[in-house]
Amino acid sequence: MSALLFELKKQPEDRLDLRVLTPDKLKGLSLAEIASLRLGSGQHAPQVADYFDISGENNGFIIFDGDCSRCDYIGASMKSGTIICHGNVGDRLADNMRRGLILVDGDAGNYAASRMIAGTVGIYGKVGDHLGYMMKRGTILLTQTPKLHATMVDCGQHQLGFLPLLLRSFATLETRFKTLQTQPVHKYAGDVGVNGKSEILLFSQT
Amino acid sequence: MEINGITIDNTFAEAFNMRATRVIITAINPTWARNAALAMTGFATSVIGCGVEAGIERELSTDETPDGRPGISVLLFAMGSKVLMQQLETRMGQCILTCPTAAAFAGIESEDMISLGRHLRYFGDGYQISKVIGGKRYWRIPIMEGEFLTEETTGMVRAIGGGNFLVLGKSQAQVLAACEAAIEAMKQVPNVIMPFPGGIVRSGSKVGSKYPKMFASTNDAFCPTLKGLVKSELDDETQCVMEIVVNGLTFDDIKTAMKAGLEAACRLGSGAGISRISAGNYGGKLGPHHFKLHEILK
Repeated sequence: MSALLFELKKQPEDRLDLRVLTPDKLKGLSLAEIASLRLGSGQHAPQVADYFDISGENNGFIIFDGDCSRCDYIGASMKSGTIICHGNVGDRLADNMRRGLILVDGDAGNYAASRMIAGTVGIYGKVGDHLGYMMKRGTILLTQTPKLHATMVDCGQHQLGFLPLLLRSFATLETRFKTLQTQPVHKYAGDVGVNGKSEILLFSQT
Repeated sequence: MEINGITIDNTFAEAFNMRATRVIITAINPTWARNAALAMTGFATSVIGCGVEAGIERELSTDETPDGRPGISVLLFAMGSKVLMQQLETRMGQCILTCPTAAAFAGIESEDMISLGRHLRYFGDGYQISKVIGGKRYWRIPIMEGEFLTEETTGMVRAIGGGNFLVLGKSQAQVLAACEAAIEAMKQVPNVIMPFPGGIVRSGSKVGSKYPKMFASTNDAFCPTLKGLVKSELDDETQCVMEIVVNGLTFDDIKTAMKAGLEAACRLGSGAGISRISAGNYGGKLGPHHFKLHEILK
């Protein structure tokens, strides 16, 4: 499947804010236009091309390649499309995300899926603190037991009928989530602190 | 025309425009998929009294269903889109939502998409979850058993209902055997259903009645016990008539099914007590689709 590929060229000295690099915000832009976008505010904020080699086709499907553990806000406020991260990601992954799919093969930093409104986020590796903080709706897929705050409640083990469909939809994506099998998952829900009804589904590692 | 000693009347079946949809029902095993499908297609023999005409199209293997479980596809036909939508929602709520392990998916794509679980989701009382997978929206509704999964919409298409033929013979048992053979053959044809019990109807009707409030009544011309009393269509030897009604997504689907059924019945021959094959029509003035028996069997 063709995608818009961002390959990290070098580790950033400071943390990068990648909230501008979502499929909906990049819609209709050429690769040159994308390369010149600024990551963060201010005239001295770095441009995308300073840290990423960009290639492929801008068609709503984004891939981040490399260790992006110093890149924050990946998929923030995303409204459509798919993002796959082959390495680690930084903090605030999928912050305020509204729709779409994000799959991370590596680890995620703190506040992943914070304030998330809807959509699906998968993190194959470890997750930092405050996962799903103030999350309202949406689904988080995990393979490793997270450290959850008190407002995420334990709903027990379940066999969910939609999971085979969801996992089948990953079959064409180059991601570690392809290897997940349908099985009982452990469900956590929250953030009940904001009357949230989102779900965290923990797969046994395969 | 005569086949194996059976007379084929030079007549035609008269069929009508309908609206149809297909739903794929899956469950933990074929038994429960069938239980759900039987409930959903129950009391759906004729639009006259049931609102829709529905039936099981075929069983689906695990690699033919969206969720990889055993499934069954059902077809529902109605005279108009409004009735079809109402009936589909009612049957989804009472028959599929309630059936252990069952899930429902769209079985046909169309420009006209109608609600499958779009309104049923409110049964979740705020705990329902929407999930868009592969561009399609699904609803997950928490229930006592776990979670009920349904696709939000399914397609509604133009279709045809009322293809039919009559099997006339010497005894109830012989006519029933011929109809059973026909139904077995017709079940192999995709895109059609035979909505009556076991696919066969014994009480064909004519338009109108001596009673003003009845708009249909018994087809007296084909009732063997009324020979002599009415202007009968039956000869002295005919003691039983049964009918097979077939609805399909297209004219060709019905034609293919009728051909399969007619040939299977005729294969038994006059020696099996079958004397004649005919078809039901209203003089060709009511239904725009005419299935001529001689053309189908040539």
